[in-house]
Amino acid sequence: MEPSVAHRVEQVLERVSAQAGTRVSILDLLEKVEAAIGYVPLESIPRLAQSLGVSEAQVAGVLSYYPDLHTQPTGRHVVRVCLGEACLANHGNRVLQAMCKHLQADVGETTSDGRCTVETVYCVGNCGVSPSVVIDEDLYGRVTPDRLPALLERYK
Amino acid sequence: MTRLYLSNDTSSHAAGAHRLAEALSARPEVQLVRTSARGAFFLEPIVERDALGGRMAWFNVAPDALPAIIAGQGGTPIQEIPFLARQSRHTFANFGITEPLALDEYQLRGGLKGLEAAVGMTPEAIIQELNVSRLRGRGGAAFPVWNKWEVARQTESAEKFVVANADEGDAGTYCDRMLMEGDPFRLIEGMLICARAIGATSGYIYCRQEYPAAARALEYAIHKAKEAELLEVDGEDFELTIVRGAGSYVCGEETALLESIEGRRGVVRSKPPYPAVAGLYAKPTIVSNVLTFATIPEILARGGAWHASMGTERSRGTVVLQIGGRVKQSGLVEIPFGLTLREALDRFGGGIASGARFKAVQVGGPLGSLFPESKLDIPICYDAFAEAGAILGHGGIVVYDQETDMIDLARHFMAFTADESCGKCTPCRIGSVRGREILERIQAGEGSAEALDLLKDLGETMKATSLCALGGRAPYPVLTAIEHFREEFQRRFTH
Repeated sequence: MEPSVAHRVEQVLERVSAQAGTRVSILDLLEKVEAAIGYVPLESIPRLAQSLGVSEAQVAGVLSYYPDLHTQPTGRHVVRVCLGEACLANHGNRVLQAMCKHLQADVGETTSDGRCTVETVYCVGNCGVSPSVVIDEDLYGRVTPDRLPALLERYK
Repeated sequence: MTRLYLSNDTSSHAAGAHRLAEALSARPEVQLVRTSARGAFFLEPIVERDALGGRMAWFNVAPDALPAIIAGQGGTPIQEIPFLARQSRHTFANFGITEPLALDEYQLRGGLKGLEAAVGMTPEAIIQELNVSRLRGRGGAAFPVWNKWEVARQTESAEKFVVANADEGDAGTYCDRMLMEGDPFRLIEGMLICARAIGATSGYIYCRQEYPAAARALEYAIHKAKEAELLEVDGEDFELTIVRGAGSYVCGEETALLESIEGRRGVVRSKPPYPAVAGLYAKPTIVSNVLTFATIPEILARGGAWHASMGTERSRGTVVLQIGGRVKQSGLVEIPFGLTLREALDRFGGGIASGARFKAVQVGGPLGSLFPESKLDIPICYDAFAEAGAILGHGGIVVYDQETDMIDLARHFMAFTADESCGKCTPCRIGSVRGREILERIQAGEGSAEALDLLKDLGETMKATSLCALGGRAPYPVLTAIEHFREEFQRRFTH
């Protein structure tokens, strides 16, 4: 683990230990590391396990279980195309194909310039105006393949 | 000064409401009120203004239409929109009208009356009222609510918990998201009534990661409720905490959800013991869906008999449907149980989207059965669906058109289960992978009649032996696809 990353992990642990009296679970802590660093470095598992007083296997188990926890850095932007049934019915899979083609990255991959990571998501509750695409925290509805270039324009 | 109303709901934003809000912020003569959404998403973004006898509404508004709206030109009285006028809004009565985070508005429209009533009642009397109401859990399992509460009340423990399941994972559904964003005090009120009835000391709302706006609204609403000294049960502080999920579908299953709140892998527990006896941290816990909690305040305010007067024999009250996919009119519908699926699709869905032909409809999310055109005359209620081997689930209704490839759709369902299986029981963990593989072989032209027989056998095994509803229900959309669209599968066979 790079010293700068290790330092940020320590910062998260300091913040957590400062909140006295609250019950901190494995998932809580991993979500906090993810929020602070953008992913949970595998090399940080021993340190996280030690701070929680649990085994490394328990931490690794939780980390591998939840799809929203990453173990690799993502691109500067995370693009998620919804594949819930309402989006599928409205041919959201065509949006996904067009997205991958436009960004030249497959699902789970990051563009070579580090700009975007492409992911799928299973329903964002935006079915009333599907198909949906989520870019970072921004949600878009009624997305068609031809709208994608303009949509991605503002994410550099 | 012109007052305009614009929904602040996530889906209204996604439909373009944020662009309207931006444009209006530059107009000092306009006072903009951000409300919850009407639920008529096919018309969003909607702009409304006060008029005699109600509000005037403008639909699918683009920024360049705003000057005409500000000048008061055109518009439709909101009560004349058939999609809304034909509904019986109770749990969603405030939607499109109030500002979600204004506690005074909530109270003006009858909010907190249920809690007030409950405070004057014994726990036994509250539970008896729910018994009279015949309310069944709205999350999918449809278990009688009073029964669970009674078990938790009778189980002795110094600590008890109330947990709202806000891990609304069934694709095609968003009524919980709308409730949390649009009327969060209703959920809090329902949870407080439950806490009083069972003697709970604290509560949790397990909110999925995909709903950031809902979590923010709840955070603020909890803060406001605390300020107003509402978060108390029998004179003791009632701590209410939001826990964020991390993208796992199976965490919507109540025991997996409890594991996740405890910070572990969201692996399903064997039942019994049921959570009402030993749930969160092994203490008596009521886990109910957001919609269930939100239904309870009005039952306490108006009496159980009022609730029981609506619906069908064994499905009392209202059902909240979310109609989507290839329909003309997508949105949220609250009506008494009992209308047929066909009637609901015609009356509210407005028929199939232009240029498309109906192929199938799926009710109840990724674990729900597919219905062809010939099976649409089924009444929307728990028992008719159970008899047909189907589920209402969380009320999601998704219409597929003729361009939908049924084999690819069936593969999608099995792949989804394989991805989301918690891995604890073998039928689900391995069955879903084998199911996906068989369907991939059929897609590749390597299928045969035996492959379909094998899939059916596999499906029946998963139904009979899985630990929870994920493995137990996953075969239904696949088997109903084969049942109703067998020829489409057979056309892919090469031998």
